[in-house]
Amino acid sequence: MGMTATEKILARASRRDRVRPGDIVFPQPDLVIVHDGLVVSSKAELDAVGIDRVFDPARVYFVTDHDVVYTSPRAAERGTQIRRIVEEWGIQNFFDVGQGGHGHIFPIQSGIVGPGTFYFDNDRHCTNAGGIGAVGLRVGTEIATVLATGTLWTKVPASIRLTLRGRTKPGVFGRDVGFRIVQDLARRGIDLDYRVLELAGDLDPFSLDERIALCSSPTEMRAIGVFIPPTAAIVAAAKARAKRPFEPVFSDPDAEFEADLTLDLSEIEPQVVMTGGVDRGVDISTMVGTAINHAFIGSCGSGMYEDLVVAAGLLKGRRVARGVRLFVVPGSEINTRRMQTDGLMQVFVEAGAMVMPAGCGICSGGKMGPVHSGEVSISTAADNAIGRFGAKDAELYLASPATVAASAVTGHITDPRDFQAFAPKGAAA
Amino acid sequence: MIPNWLVAGRYMDPKDLVPHLFEELRPGFHEKAKPGDVIVAGRNFGMGPKMNGYIAMQALGLGLLTESMPFLGYRAALGCGLRVLDRCPGVLDLVEDGDEVEVDFSTGAFANRSRGTGRTFEPVPEALRDLVELGGTSGFLRRWREANQPKDTSGRQTAAAAHR
Repeated sequence: MGMTATEKILARASRRDRVRPGDIVFPQPDLVIVHDGLVVSSKAELDAVGIDRVFDPARVYFVTDHDVVYTSPRAAERGTQIRRIVEEWGIQNFFDVGQGGHGHIFPIQSGIVGPGTFYFDNDRHCTNAGGIGAVGLRVGTEIATVLATGTLWTKVPASIRLTLRGRTKPGVFGRDVGFRIVQDLARRGIDLDYRVLELAGDLDPFSLDERIALCSSPTEMRAIGVFIPPTAAIVAAAKARAKRPFEPVFSDPDAEFEADLTLDLSEIEPQVVMTGGVDRGVDISTMVGTAINHAFIGSCGSGMYEDLVVAAGLLKGRRVARGVRLFVVPGSEINTRRMQTDGLMQVFVEAGAMVMPAGCGICSGGKMGPVHSGEVSISTAADNAIGRFGAKDAELYLASPATVAASAVTGHITDPRDFQAFAPKGAAA
Repeated sequence: MIPNWLVAGRYMDPKDLVPHLFEELRPGFHEKAKPGDVIVAGRNFGMGPKMNGYIAMQALGLGLLTESMPFLGYRAALGCGLRVLDRCPGVLDLVEDGDEVEVDFSTGAFANRSRGTGRTFEPVPEALRDLVELGGTSGFLRRWREANQPKDTSGRQTAAAAHR
């Protein structure tokens, strides 16, 4: 019996010929990513037991994305603590505020994470790594153990394979597909808890940026990973920008999957997800016309450059509706710079959107740009649990960047296809 | 298991947590529970962040058997040094509240002495028994330091090392 791609990547990192689901292994990561929220507590945890160094300062990456602008005096204090810890531990890869951006996005864009890479990360949306054919494993507060010892006990997860067939309709984007995937899995009673969702089938038209978008919603349903086998073009582009050696990995033809499912892409409509969970999506037609106050484009699920291009396409020459506030949060500083040179920044500013620093944006608990009681938000946030970014009695709808942009212009939930014709997927690529 | 305000407030000290363990289900639970008692739970035990609850259970010397629990919950429980068997399908049918039971977490052997019945479940994986015996992550790290980071080696004395 062969291995899945995830099993192969874990076997390599664990210096084993093969692993099977359920095995306990101690993989050695190619790198470790720690987000701004867990640096200080990890340091305190290791200080308390007298551990005064990290396993390899060259392989440790500190990223700043959850509270980039320091929305409180406490956050500002934490920033100074992080910078001191960087010095004490000699961390060689420190992406301070205003540098790098979202830790689940810029490492992929800048060649730090490539196909086949294995890393530990404290935050669960490191599953984005699967969009380029890598494995990022979420370890939460146990990132402190990784920092000290260079490894952590890991149960090899089982994989579920979902084969996508056909082509999406124009105007249907990666997030729409992700929303539909989790609805379908929930309806079929498939539990993603600590499973890897491996995608297969007609994936070629999905760009890297759309693949990243596909990773978001399964993660909210407790998948520990999403794996999408990269195309030759994605591998070549990754090789061209690689900051470390990597080798793409694919599942064996006889790899074992816990379940094998299919989904017809051509039947998917743009989705709107009801407040309270990413699997609560409905076709947009049932929600069209619902008035909104708050709109946000960004987060780990929709902060790639193509997401911003799609949104700008809808906003160009238009204005955000009166009474609506629109926040645009690029996933990375790379994207922010490109928005300047490509003219996207001007489109957003002239439309009356507020462009914020690269990072998690509103989605990290509404530290910036929260919703007020009774307000209605539509966004590309990763999650819309009740109260996720503001008042508990606010509506937090989720949709694709296109739907959010179109809705911000009209002031109510709007099918982006009413605004413009979209090219069929893969036509431009 | 534990009130949300203790989770949201990041209370981690067993002294704060123990009095509230299972208080909504059974007021005064912490006064009746004795070390060695075993909590037997159904499916999907401990959804959402519940590490604070596992800290309290570990502090009381309890063990935990569940029909199932989310993997990250299981991880958190082991990280607190809690003895737990997370895959015990049907265990709720084998026990009534107050029965005298015996559980060997290293073999997965479960016996109900009150009823004379028993079954074997998946044990704590061998690779993780150390972690539990050492009281969880902090004990594990402490032992790791003793083995791997001798005192006064590199001259890189930090504040933490000086405090030791």
